Amino acid sequence: MTSVHASDIEPQDLMVVLRHPPHGSHWLREGIDVALVAAAFGQRVGLLFQGDGVYALLKGQQAGALGQKGTHPQLAMLEMYDIESLWVSAAALTERGLSVDDLILPVKPLTAEAVAELMQIQPHTLIF
Amino acid sequence: MLNYALLVHGAPYTHQAALSALRFADTVVTGGHRLATVFFYHDGVHNASALMSPPQDEVHLAEGWKRLHQDYGTQLLVCIAAGLRRGLLNADEARRHGLPLHNVEAPFELTGIGQLVDAMLNNDRLITFAP
Amino acid sequence: MLLHLLNRSPQSIAVYRDLSEAFGASDQLLLIEDACYAALPAAGDLLEAFGGRVSVLEEDLVSRGLTGRVSPAIAVVDMKGFLALTETHERCVSWF
Repeated sequence: MTSVHASDIEPQDLMVVLRHPPHGSHWLREGIDVALVAAAFGQRVGLLFQGDGVYALLKGQQAGALGQKGTHPQLAMLEMYDIESLWVSAAALTERGLSVDDLILPVKPLTAEAVAELMQIQPHTLIF
Repeated sequence: MLNYALLVHGAPYTHQAALSALRFADTVVTGGHRLATVFFYHDGVHNASALMSPPQDEVHLAEGWKRLHQDYGTQLLVCIAAGLRRGLLNADEARRHGLPLHNVEAPFELTGIGQLVDAMLNNDRLITFAP
Repeated sequence: MLLHLLNRSPQSIAVYRDLSEAFGASDQLLLIEDACYAALPAAGDLLEAFGGRVSVLEEDLVSRGLTGRVSPAIAVVDMKGFLALTETHERCVSWF
């Protein structure tokens, strides 16, 4: 797995950091909603999946037992909204026994150093 | 002087977030800055309930927010999607959904997430208070 | 230069981990609400990653009976101090 270096990172207008997994709470859904709306309003939006947020990208997710849609349908729409800068914490993946091959979208894994650098260069960041 | 916006995710009387937000809001306005907007999202939408009825000896959060609007013109914006799901509706939305009651009134306004993006872009500071 | 707000007790160790991954060399951390418990010397290890750039909100210490128990390395600030931190840091993110 080749990690992205800090110097490769291009600042967006808004970075949304997603730290919560799907289904268990509404945080992930609400964070993605903000990202999509900002993108629809013409902002360049990047997503950083950190901690349990990496589970948002896990292959094989389904609707909940009471028909809750989950967030994977929205994530499939990211490209349509021109949201292409997708980063994940490499440490978060490793700690969870995951690799980028387990994920539904192409992402750039970041070292801790690169995550910190990413936080510094974005004009706006929201954490969900 | 800076222009501030707050993003409040915490429900009243459940977690300290809404209280901290109100404390900070008061500090902003007495500190010589402008508090342009408070945006309520996630469980924060419950701060807008017109039916909020805490005991007399406890701070009344909704009144606190309303006072900021009355005294400083702070916009009180409630995410409509998050609000509807959780049962926070104004008269228009109640009518639209065929419901006999509503519990959100001015100065709280139901609005879209676009207003949160605006608040973030158009103010100098956006401070988030979450549970 | 970011200001990070943290409101979770050290019991929520994952938030501290994620925050330390994102914390920059000149960033500042402000402990509020239940994160005040991280200001006790016993939680010192947890705050190592933040390089001494940690403050704690006084009124949250007071209500929790923690005044006088705070690690000397941590700056105690009141609400005006909280405001001042937001004035001097252009961006503020909240961890929860």
